[in-house]
Amino acid sequence: MAAPEVHHLFHNPIADHSFSADRKTLAVARESNVELYGRVGKAFKLKDELKGHDKTVTSVDIAPNSGRIVTCSQDRNALVWEPSPQGYKPTLVLLRINRAATFVRWSPSEAKFAVGSGDRVIAVCYFEEENDWWVSKHLKKPIRSTITTVAWHPNSVLLAAGSTDAHARVFSSFIKGVDTKPEPGVWGERLPFNTVCGEYLNNSAGWVHAVGFSPSGDALAFAAHDSSITVVYPSGADEPPRAIVSINTQLMPFMSLIWNGEGEIIAAGYDCEAYRFKGGEGGWQLSGTLEAAKGRPALGGGDREESALNMFRQMDLKGKVSKDDTQLKTVHQNTVTMLRPYETNGERVTKFSSSGVDGRLVIWNA
Amino acid sequence: MSIIQQHTSASLSDAWRTINIDALTEDSSVNFDTSTLHPPLPETSESEVRQLAQQVRQLLRGGDAEGALRGCLEMPVYNGSDLAKEAHLQTVIEVLQSIKASEMTPMLQRIYGTPGGSECLDVLMKYLYKGMATTSGSSSSSSGGGSAPRTPTRMTPQQTGFSQVGARPGAANESTGAAMSVLLSWHEKAVEIAGLGCITRTMTDWRRV
Amino acid sequence: MSQSLRPYLQAVRTSLSAALCLSNFASQTAERHNVPEIEAQTSPEVLLAPLTIARNENERVLIEPSINSIRVSIKIKQADEIEHILVHKFTRFLTQRAESFFILRRKPIKGYDISFLITNFHTEEMLKHKLVDFIIQFMEEVDKEISEMKLFVSSVALARWFRWPPRLIIKQLNARARFVAESFLTPFD
Repeated sequence: MAAPEVHHLFHNPIADHSFSADRKTLAVARESNVELYGRVGKAFKLKDELKGHDKTVTSVDIAPNSGRIVTCSQDRNALVWEPSPQGYKPTLVLLRINRAATFVRWSPSEAKFAVGSGDRVIAVCYFEEENDWWVSKHLKKPIRSTITTVAWHPNSVLLAAGSTDAHARVFSSFIKGVDTKPEPGVWGERLPFNTVCGEYLNNSAGWVHAVGFSPSGDALAFAAHDSSITVVYPSGADEPPRAIVSINTQLMPFMSLIWNGEGEIIAAGYDCEAYRFKGGEGGWQLSGTLEAAKGRPALGGGDREESALNMFRQMDLKGKVSKDDTQLKTVHQNTVTMLRPYETNGERVTKFSSSGVDGRLVIWNA
Repeated sequence: MSIIQQHTSASLSDAWRTINIDALTEDSSVNFDTSTLHPPLPETSESEVRQLAQQVRQLLRGGDAEGALRGCLEMPVYNGSDLAKEAHLQTVIEVLQSIKASEMTPMLQRIYGTPGGSECLDVLMKYLYKGMATTSGSSSSSSGGGSAPRTPTRMTPQQTGFSQVGARPGAANESTGAAMSVLLSWHEKAVEIAGLGCITRTMTDWRRV
Repeated sequence: MSQSLRPYLQAVRTSLSAALCLSNFASQTAERHNVPEIEAQTSPEVLLAPLTIARNENERVLIEPSINSIRVSIKIKQADEIEHILVHKFTRFLTQRAESFFILRRKPIKGYDISFLITNFHTEEMLKHKLVDFIIQFMEEVDKEISEMKLFVSSVALARWFRWPPRLIIKQLNARARFVAESFLTPFD
């Protein structure tokens, strides 16, 4: 398997990243700006900066078809950047929130996007032709704390959201005149705006960091701060789910996850590397890390033989063997905060990208 | 005589300046209802705890330390009086202290391998931290502010028959030190088997012991 | 002695590693603010269960975790009155220079001798295991230093006996404290 493609962009955390459909443009959220990088041969070169926010940008998403970029920030605002021959033109979105905007994603139809916030609401935004601006409707109840993440169902009506109130929820964000009525499915039949189609809490709670619908949209996975991944298989309106499978791992919490077909999930987070989970309704299992053992920096040559006495003394005093350990053995050198599919083949993800607090962007073979 | 006399003691006090107005706003994040962070928990009474302690002791006497450990970890007291919680902590600690160091790892491995075993180790971790918090904090700082009698929480050594008149301060310290080192080695073994995930769950879980 | 020190420090290490899973989190109470939630204490759901690791009654560590910051407080071993005074002097010396330590809190929390406050901005800039190493190293060194200072104090008492001028003695004690403190001042290179 080919080695992952590593791009060390800068020495700041990357809050979020997004590729354009042709994968030639990469947008990354860096402090209070969004930087656009262009693919030049094997590297990414900075080509533009989107300046418009005055606090940390928390999320960025490029719509694959229209090329519009939506960004949101702790300054409480979201901006839609329209591509034009003179560069990107920002338009402010009427979010009507009073706290940080934390997460934004375009719906697959690209007619809407959802903005999570610290104001305990999700603003579902759509374009109003007659007034020529982006307006929003609020998903409010029963959210009790900051929204950390959102993810769209393939039908562009259902929206999954994770929150620091330890719940993962599925809402309907149906907006008349924008959406076409969805087919009845496992999540419900009639779906007016703000219908709560599902609400899930792990026994050991933990803030929900990531949510994601399976490619068919018939299952929901979420990762929480209790180092777990939970997969929910709903069975229909007003009925308990067919199955809820929870895997409590031995690892540290996961910050992001993506589905790879219906039977595989890739997740990464505080362990600074990506792990693969496999399973189905009957059960899920951690099947291993995606980091090739060979891919790790070879320690063989530089690994000095330490005297046994010294080693035991170190073990005894510090509870660890002291080595030159300023570099982690993983590709990412700090928490991985975002995973995204990079190249897909039908339902399968053939390559995915990850970005993290270490300012690195890595493209992996799934 | 002067304006000053028109002030009452209440209006002179500046207590109103320190009122936390967020706490008075029902919708404020300060008033988050943390009971929404865990499933409903059945209440455990003191007598149930005592009954369980009896059974556990019987298992211990019968040489089934693993059964005893499993027994008390499968029945954690999440919802109960302070006394019930303390009593169960004592039972857990008693079991932990009665198991030989060489037995710890294989026993935890066996428990972890069974269904529900990961949950058991999470519970063990909660009791290890609680054990260290209550025992070490009993002498100095008031950690909880609870008025429950402190005596049962102290891990005192078995009475030897010798009364230590005016015991040296170091003596009590040595005994808690020994008790702590048991908890610390269990902690180390539990992390080896259940990983750091076990500690993160101890922190996130609102079903507190 | 180090027999029980190792598992103690090991438990502190693993607990800190698990607690230091921080993220950037904006305040839910104050508009456009981003504050350490463990200090603000305004949103109960973003605080986690505190962890205590104890070696005995006089030596323990309290870790109070939250979504974007953790507070680590250490109770340093004090076997007698002299050690008590020395610990007090020593931690005071350090906290007065808190800005050079990045993560040192100016005031220890009640019942402890010294507290650290680590936020997501620290874990973004520094390697997590290095931060953990720093705390562990601090815990090791501080015990050693206190006993060395105690030796020094006894030698001072001896000097008194030989009627050295007190000014000289205090000067020497201060110099020692400064030397010790400065060895901690450049931990993050």
